[in-house]
Amino acid sequence: MTYKVTDEGNISTVFLNGEIDMDVAEKAKEVILPLVEAGKEVHLNLKDVSYMDSSGISVLIESHQKALEKSTKVIVKEVSKSVLKVIMMAKLEQILNLE
Amino acid sequence: MNLSESKDFVVDSSNLKEVRTFSREVFEKINLPQEQKDELVLAIAEAAQNIVKHAYKDVEETTDAMQIKISLKDGELEIGFFDKGKPVVPENIQHRKLDDIKPGGLGTFFIKQIMDGAVFKKDQKGWVNHLVLTKKI
Repeated sequence: MTYKVTDEGNISTVFLNGEIDMDVAEKAKEVILPLVEAGKEVHLNLKDVSYMDSSGISVLIESHQKALEKSTKVIVKEVSKSVLKVIMMAKLEQILNLE
Repeated sequence: MNLSESKDFVVDSSNLKEVRTFSREVFEKINLPQEQKDELVLAIAEAAQNIVKHAYKDVEETTDAMQIKISLKDGELEIGFFDKGKPVVPENIQHRKLDDIKPGGLGTFFIKQIMDGAVFKKDQKGWVNHLVLTKKI
């Protein structure tokens, strides 16, 4: 997994790339959670994420819940078809902010 | 079409990508919709992840291998997982309730959603755990 972060005002956009599994979930959290902790609105762009398993889903849930705690939000953007299927299997499409 | 392929992987999260690559290569040989292949790869990856996460819980590093065997016979797909980790107590395995939104506990749920059957067998020779996932395809 690789990533890129861009900032514009209070919005940080995290572009994740590759496959999100147990091996890289911690790394993904280390990128996303400090931004949320800092009160940023975080846009997670997943257009280049080709695979996500339950560990990746946990990253999305934890980021979403941390954002609620910090009165900000995480918006999940440009989800690929295969990743959307996993999100829907977990019945999270109504819970996460998907765009 | 019948086939049977197996491969050993050192039990480590860094090898989960290799598990997926092996699974994808095997499923390339089977005529299935891509969507179903992706689901099967996910189920295999989740089961392998459970070995790393649970059977080898608190084990910092190991040279132990897990073996994954994918077999197709008469339209029945059987995927075997062998490991030498802590013995699994099948009765203790349960996924979290879906409406209890929290990180973790979804891997087993995904496996149950995707596969027709998931049982631990007691026929493991030289292994500690033998999980068998099945699906009619």
